[in-house]
Amino acid sequence: MTMEVTLNVNGHEHKFAVEPTETVVSILRDRLELTGTHKDCSMGICGACTVLLNGQPVSSCLLLAPQADNQEIRTVESLEKDGKLSPLQEAFLTFGAVQCGYCTPGFLMTATALLEENPDPDRKEILEALKGNLCRCTGYKKIIEAVESAIGR
Amino acid sequence: MSCLYTQATSVNEAVSALIEAKGEAHLIAGGVALVILMNEKLVEPSWLIDISRIEALRGIDRLPDGTVRIGAAVTHREVAGSNIIAEAFPMVPEMAAEIACGRIMNKGTIGGNICLADPQGDPPIAMLALDATMRAAGPNGTRDIPVREFFVDLYTTALGEDELLQEILIPPMKENSVTAFGKYAARKAMDYTSTISVAVRLIRNKSSGNFDEISLGFGGVGQTPVYSVEIEEILTGTTPSDALFEDVRSKLFNVLEPIDDHLYSANYKRHVSAVTLRRTIMKAYDGTWDGEGVLIR
Repeated sequence: MTMEVTLNVNGHEHKFAVEPTETVVSILRDRLELTGTHKDCSMGICGACTVLLNGQPVSSCLLLAPQADNQEIRTVESLEKDGKLSPLQEAFLTFGAVQCGYCTPGFLMTATALLEENPDPDRKEILEALKGNLCRCTGYKKIIEAVESAIGR
Repeated sequence: MSCLYTQATSVNEAVSALIEAKGEAHLIAGGVALVILMNEKLVEPSWLIDISRIEALRGIDRLPDGTVRIGAAVTHREVAGSNIIAEAFPMVPEMAAEIACGRIMNKGTIGGNICLADPQGDPPIAMLALDATMRAAGPNGTRDIPVREFFVDLYTTALGEDELLQEILIPPMKENSVTAFGKYAARKAMDYTSTISVAVRLIRNKSSGNFDEISLGFGGVGQTPVYSVEIEEILTGTTPSDALFEDVRSKLFNVLEPIDDHLYSANYKRHVSAVTLRRTIMKAYDGTWDGEGVLIR
């Protein structure tokens, strides 16, 4: 069956006619062309598709469109404001926390949610928050340093 | 394949849809297990019944007799942060806080995890150790199922095709009871494969130091989440010692029926289960294992 869902994505309401089995990551990428949210494992393991659902990180590959009906979704595209990167994004560049970039949007969204919930996390809390995101390039050190440097900015 | 979707707003509405679907529907709450199976094309649902927005399936309450009621659609995040649960059963929030990672905790539900009946699931074995009751809702109202009768086969529960799990009832523990949870995982944020876990509830006799009572749940070592009356009986009335745990270890090799997988052999899993059991018992008994190291809480 086709059903109508309303998704609030980055502050804008969108109505879609969807099959109930369509995932949010597909809608973001294929219908809204918000390709910053990356699709990889489709099993909730890698974290590349992390978006914020009502402020909380979730795997958008495991989120069906009707589950997100009338809910607020934020993607990596929401971090840049008026052409200016967020302090966290700037920190990722400064610290070289980006190499191939595939995992980066997921790390940014996970860390953004962490800093909103806990503005002054210690290293243990940062590691705990990021433990579900995989990066195969950086060895994580630079990512963790970048998040630490963005605290309070 | 086209799929129907019912956004249920009450338990009765969900049960009515289950009856109409005659076993062809899948319930969805957080979706973090079901949608993996859909993405892998292992499940192609023809009817999804969404129960995540049913108010009656939410909430955590302490009932007048001390029983803690957890709605089936309560998320792992909510369990991990619940003071009501932490005060009554400290092991449960610790267990919930180590389920996969934050993304999964934010959507996954305790009821969904229990009803998946994955042998590697953590909430099921915590409920086994705590002797919880699964309250199902069906066409004739509710039905209480003791957790030790709930897991009947691989990914199979005692729920009928027109029933859903409404809430989990954990009875109050006797005085001086303590709990602990131990887990050995290949990757800390991934419970998906080769995870061995143990849940413990015990009473330590204040004068003798013996285990007056002990109740256990074992994860990752059988077709279902497992308990063993035999092992519990060996331990009851004894005091921890190397000889006791060696005896338990050898018995576990007969009791547990894990399978070989791409990471660990069945015998290695039996061994790790025995080591995890010993450490988790000692964590509950006197805190001599703090849960750190490769074995995580």
